[in-house]
Amino acid sequence: MRLHSLQAYFVLILLAATCASSCAGQAEPRLPGELVWTIGYDPKTFDPAKVDDQESELVRYLTAGVLLRFNRSTQKVEPRLAESWSLSPDGRTVIFKLRPGLQFSDRTSLTAKDAAWSIRRVLLPATAAPVAEEFLASASVTVDTPDPRTVIVHLPQRVIGIEKVFDEIAIEPAERPSEGRVTAGPFVLADYRRSQYVRLGRNPCYYRRDNGGAALPYASGVRLDVLDNHEQEIRLFQRGEYDLIDSLPPDYFGLLKQKTPNAVRDLGPSLNTEQMWFNQSAAAQLPLWEKAWFQNQAFRVAVSRAIHRADLARIAYQGHATPAYSFISPANSTWYNGTISVPHEDVAAARMLLKGAGFHLNGALLQDASGHPVKFSILTNAGNAARQKMATLIQEDLKSLGMEVTVVALDFPALIERLMHTQDYEACLLGLENVDPDPNAMMNVWLSSSPNHQWNPSEKTPATKWEAEIDRAMNLQATSLKDAERKQAVDQVQQIVADQQPFIYLVYPNILFAVSPRLQGVDPARLEPNLVWDAESLRLAGAR
Amino acid sequence: MISRSVASWLLGALVLIAFAVLAAPGTSYSNQDRDLPLAASSMRHPAGTDALGRDRMVRVSAALLLSLAGATLAAAATTLAAAAVGALSAFSPALLGGLIILVCDVFLALPWLFLLLMVRSALPLTTSPAHSAVVTFLVLAALGWPACARAVYRGAVHLRDAEWMLQARAAGLRGHQIAHHIMPNLYPLLLPQFLISIPAFVIAEANLGALGLGIGEPLPSWGGMLFELDNSAMLVSTGWVYLPIALLIVVLLLIESIAAEVY
Repeated sequence: MRLHSLQAYFVLILLAATCASSCAGQAEPRLPGELVWTIGYDPKTFDPAKVDDQESELVRYLTAGVLLRFNRSTQKVEPRLAESWSLSPDGRTVIFKLRPGLQFSDRTSLTAKDAAWSIRRVLLPATAAPVAEEFLASASVTVDTPDPRTVIVHLPQRVIGIEKVFDEIAIEPAERPSEGRVTAGPFVLADYRRSQYVRLGRNPCYYRRDNGGAALPYASGVRLDVLDNHEQEIRLFQRGEYDLIDSLPPDYFGLLKQKTPNAVRDLGPSLNTEQMWFNQSAAAQLPLWEKAWFQNQAFRVAVSRAIHRADLARIAYQGHATPAYSFISPANSTWYNGTISVPHEDVAAARMLLKGAGFHLNGALLQDASGHPVKFSILTNAGNAARQKMATLIQEDLKSLGMEVTVVALDFPALIERLMHTQDYEACLLGLENVDPDPNAMMNVWLSSSPNHQWNPSEKTPATKWEAEIDRAMNLQATSLKDAERKQAVDQVQQIVADQQPFIYLVYPNILFAVSPRLQGVDPARLEPNLVWDAESLRLAGAR
Repeated sequence: MISRSVASWLLGALVLIAFAVLAAPGTSYSNQDRDLPLAASSMRHPAGTDALGRDRMVRVSAALLLSLAGATLAAAATTLAAAAVGALSAFSPALLGGLIILVCDVFLALPWLFLLLMVRSALPLTTSPAHSAVVTFLVLAALGWPACARAVYRGAVHLRDAEWMLQARAAGLRGHQIAHHIMPNLYPLLLPQFLISIPAFVIAEANLGALGLGIGEPLPSWGGMLFELDNSAMLVSTGWVYLPIALLIVVLLLIESIAAEVY
């Protein structure tokens, strides 16, 4: 019977998947002294100027020679290719003095000409370098090289944290961009096999030495296996094929802890946030009454107050997360403000808020003043177990208010299409990765004109008074010369967000990782790349 | 192989037990006992709880009934549609009959799994879990009929060319009078088609669920529960995590046993 063909079809798929899985379970042989870990997908580019995704950024971090490096542990800017640097009092001129005798990995000399060419290249509109946006007015930036060791960058206006921007600009040989094959960083791109691995070799001309005078990096190379399967990653880690697991999912933390208690560690809350929001975009193809709910402050605050965040942290993250009420994590001690007044869980207060806004219960179902039942869907991305669990817990929490919620898990491209282009969604649950503790790095989220202003992207003018106030405060912190004034402006934004709940913050996931006992020199940081930020100091025990 | 009567009794017993579990006061497949996620077996939760503290026994019982009911109705719809199309093509003029079978063949050549994925993912986001269950089985029924129709067509052609049919025509029986005799004669063919469609649809729903495109939360489904097996951390947490897959295999074996004897 032909319906058997359906069963046969699924059996074939299962067999193919099993074969593929067992073949993929064999990692590439490790070269002597080579460090190995995984990346989730193929880097989109090896051109350091065009990096726009996490895995490409990791490759750039490991290969690029930069003028300054933002130390992920001390959170201070340190000199690298630049021996020294200075910023003029008005913040509009940066002067770098290069180290003497610098060389690229192909043994050619590195001079101010190469540095200026690399900076100008990222500023060119034709390059479309994402880092150019951080100069605010990149078209008006000029670069001079008065001598072979001096580079002067002139900015049209002061940019907060401009030093950190140079951490993202790879210095390449002038007129010879090589996509990471000729670098002034610790590693160079040696081999790449799509969907298999990226292999980085040690740069023999790297200038840095350790305190004992030994050349850095210690490792002979790095192999980044492309693998988007935590099961396999953990199995291969336990077999000693991988040296570390960055971003360990909470489900697997306990499993690995049982088997190898010394290999895993919980570093506490990260800077990242998990949040949900309602679609408030005027362009959204939603019924008018739904838009009215989502634009209603009382509705959003009531939803926020009905969510039991402690349960989300305990159940969805197995205790490896911290309830969140603000976009600044307690891990960010400089900017966190524990005195902000936030809407804590209180279902009775949530019901009162809804009643005051004209909502009423009809049986078990909540209705608005016009009698429309309050039903909506929460989108999240498929494959993220913690987010799907959170969405199901929230679904149950909101049932206590009479709201009927549907949870929808979509694959990431489909989700992004709805969020960024079609605006065809009601509510969304996603996370935001914060790579920089300075709130200035979140300008693209908070400014109402930004396409990443998720609840209502690319507003021509702020749709509400409180969004206008957020714009004003964020612009103030971006231009103020006084730290206290910046802090006050960011505190004000935190309070507005807590009052208005455009983002309903849920949890700060903890930083979980696993490190092989053979790997030495690991100094985990809260900032990305958490475990390998000091890759030059990593080495395997027993390796020369 | 288990005999048909034993298989029928066992299947009936499973369904009755599932009804009894769901009928117990205070039970709900969506209740979250948040103090006891991934709990072991206890008086309160005989088969423990899942990662969200929901009773596994209740959810497995609900999934069993939902899946069997949905698959049975979908199989019935498929069989009826196949009977109509198969008989119509066999007794139509040759050109029309050939055209109908050609349409069946085109349907058969389509990639099932991707069609299921496409149709399921095109549903509105606000589709409630109950509606998503109905739509899932409707889609399965809508895509399952051509193979069955092809088989029915072969049987109906044999019937059309049978000597008693020629004799009936020669005796002057009209079309509608002949039609009365077709269905009873196709019954021995349709019953096994119906029976083997049920496990096929149960598996198809489980596969869709495991791909995240099946029945929506919090409604329990085989696919949703089998999704847990993807996580080795979950597998070592409790042996009860294997209950859904064990029960699914038992149910499929029982239905196949019944179908095999009907053949």
